[in-house]
Amino acid sequence: MQVTFKDVTLSYDGKREILKHLNFVIQEGTLVCLLGPSGGGKSTTLNLISGLLAPTAGHIFFGDKDVTKEDALARKVGMVFQNYALYPHLSVQKNIEFPLKMAGLSRGDRAKKAKELAALVHVDDQLDKKPGELSGGQQQRVAIARALAKEPSILLLDEPLSNLDARLRIEMREEIRRIQRETGVTTVFVTHDQDEAMHISDKIMVLHDGHIQQYSTPTTLYADPENLFVAQFIGEPVINSVPASALSHDLAGVVPADILSQAQTAGIRPEALTLPQRALNPLTTLHGKVVEFDQFGRESTAKLDYNNLQLISTEMGQLSHDTKELDFTLEKKGFFLFDANGKRIFGGDDHAE
Amino acid sequence: MLNEKPTWKSSIKGWLYLLPMLAISLTFNIYPIIKSFLMSFYTKYDFYNDIVSAYGFSNFTYLWNDPDFHLAVRNTLIFVIGVVPLNVIISLAIALMLNKIKYVASAFRTIYFLPFVTSTVAIAQVWNWIYNADYGLLNYLLGLVGINPINWLNDPNWAMPALIIMSIWKGLGFNIVLFLVGLNNINTRYYQAAEIDGANSWHQFTNVTIPLLSPMTFLVTVNGVIGSFKVFDEIFALFQGSSGPSKSALTIVYYLYEKFYTEWKYGIAAASGVVLFFLILIVTLLQLWYSRKHVHY
Ligand SMILES: Nc1ncnc2c1ncn2[C@@H]1O[C@H](COP(=O)(O)OP(=O)(O)O)[C@@H](O)[C@H]1O
Ligand SMILES: [Mg+2]
Repeated sequence: MQVTFKDVTLSYDGKREILKHLNFVIQEGTLVCLLGPSGGGKSTTLNLISGLLAPTAGHIFFGDKDVTKEDALARKVGMVFQNYALYPHLSVQKNIEFPLKMAGLSRGDRAKKAKELAALVHVDDQLDKKPGELSGGQQQRVAIARALAKEPSILLLDEPLSNLDARLRIEMREEIRRIQRETGVTTVFVTHDQDEAMHISDKIMVLHDGHIQQYSTPTTLYADPENLFVAQFIGEPVINSVPASALSHDLAGVVPADILSQAQTAGIRPEALTLPQRALNPLTTLHGKVVEFDQFGRESTAKLDYNNLQLISTEMGQLSHDTKELDFTLEKKGFFLFDANGKRIFGGDDHAE
Repeated sequence: MLNEKPTWKSSIKGWLYLLPMLAISLTFNIYPIIKSFLMSFYTKYDFYNDIVSAYGFSNFTYLWNDPDFHLAVRNTLIFVIGVVPLNVIISLAIALMLNKIKYVASAFRTIYFLPFVTSTVAIAQVWNWIYNADYGLLNYLLGLVGINPINWLNDPNWAMPALIIMSIWKGLGFNIVLFLVGLNNINTRYYQAAEIDGANSWHQFTNVTIPLLSPMTFLVTVNGVIGSFKVFDEIFALFQGSSGPSKSALTIVYYLYEKFYTEWKYGIAAASGVVLFFLILIVTLLQLWYSRKHVHY
């Protein structure tokens, strides 16, 4: 089901607005991540979609239908909570059956459907256990099966992986992607982990400060961040951000003067600093000192000192260990300028040539 | 250390920590229990010199044949069945309502808790007035809906209901507080999940509240059953030192009290105590057995 928010505002206490005039469309059949730092309003947005919360102002549509006034039951959403919220007194099978029981299905139909779903999420050998006897990953799978049981119009997941360890997190995010593809259900996935969001989503909505900072595909989010917040939030290692004034000498003549004069902060992705002989599409050449060079497995990071500012590069694997000073290239791709409000004014698709 | 192996030294140290409490509980709990078990087999006993000249089962055969004791057992069972279920249901209902109110709940909580911290004698005084046949509050209220006055405390048919009503009321406060604790311990996530799963308020109550509250309900019930089997002060205070009109409120503990303090039949008193002990034990074991299946921890 396509979900549309029109000018949705939410305040819990009538004073502070947690979400301010949200407008967005989630396309049918896609997996969208709500991404942002903790307290950014992700769960609030999810609860507005589910119907557990009603907006203070604005309208919510499922397809063409205005569902603003409808409760969770009428909206027919499935939801997976962070701590799974499986009913502790019911077996795995009874947990998955619960929404079907509420919907009035017969015992036989319920059991049949529950077994199908258990097979889909690979817990069909755990049906008689209680949730307390399952591992975190298994509980997660059961919670997904329960959420899918009533064939929801939308599947909502609130930080579903944050209670799992690192390896299981990667496994489960692939599982969620697989289940979403197999069922084709429109899915909204909340996370504060940019890496998770980048791997799983068709589109990512970055929420911060009650506003949508950017809503686009993972690739666009990384290559064309609309503002400094998004540029800093997405990417590992974090983008180098330095005062634009420190670069103004090297950028004069390369970046139009009117843009350069407005620029406040420069953002440089660690992979946009390369050795001159490996440069692809150079913007300009900088000169600096090597502060530190570390090799981790196949990855390496070099800490460079440029005009007394520290820059990190991940592309200097070829650097010989005794190098003290060097000329290095600033690539066009991965270099951005932001104005005083944090808005991007140079780089990314502004600068497509 | 976390992986310390128990040694003689550490075990003795552990026992030493327990010793003071153990000594107190041995002296004041375990010894009297053993003593009263033994006493129930004394058939000839000089209480003042603590000399037993004969042992036997005659105390138990006496109880077996004593119509007063039969009455006491019957009244006790009626009392337990009259008080416990209603008490549990009413306290749960009030706790659910208090849990919904946000602002004045603590004031109500205090009000309901008052009976628990007030002495039974004082409570019984007030109920004595409430039950008064001529100018009592209850008869006045019944009069408003056209019911003839009832002689609550002097009519053998109404003395037991009067005792049950007062006891239910007296037990509410503590149980409401326990239920409120239990309700607070149920994570709201379960209700949200149930709401998403399509459960209306009633289904949420039966599928989330009842099962997740069951450990507390079990505690309240077991506690209530044991307490009700041992009922005494309420009777003594409400009927001013008697077991009610024509013994209509004679219970096992009241019977024991009379045998011990007014008739000086120590062996019989002790034997009735033993019977009570096993009655409570059996009922509690039944409850435990039931809880295996129906209480979800
Ligand atoms: N039930 C609530 N009552 C009042 N304030 C709330 C409630 N839930 C969340 N908030 C506030 O709303 C803001 C956004 O919270 P939330 O949507 O949970 O953020 P996120 O899920 O992105 O971490 C936070 O400042 C939080 O304190
Ligand atoms: Mg959250």
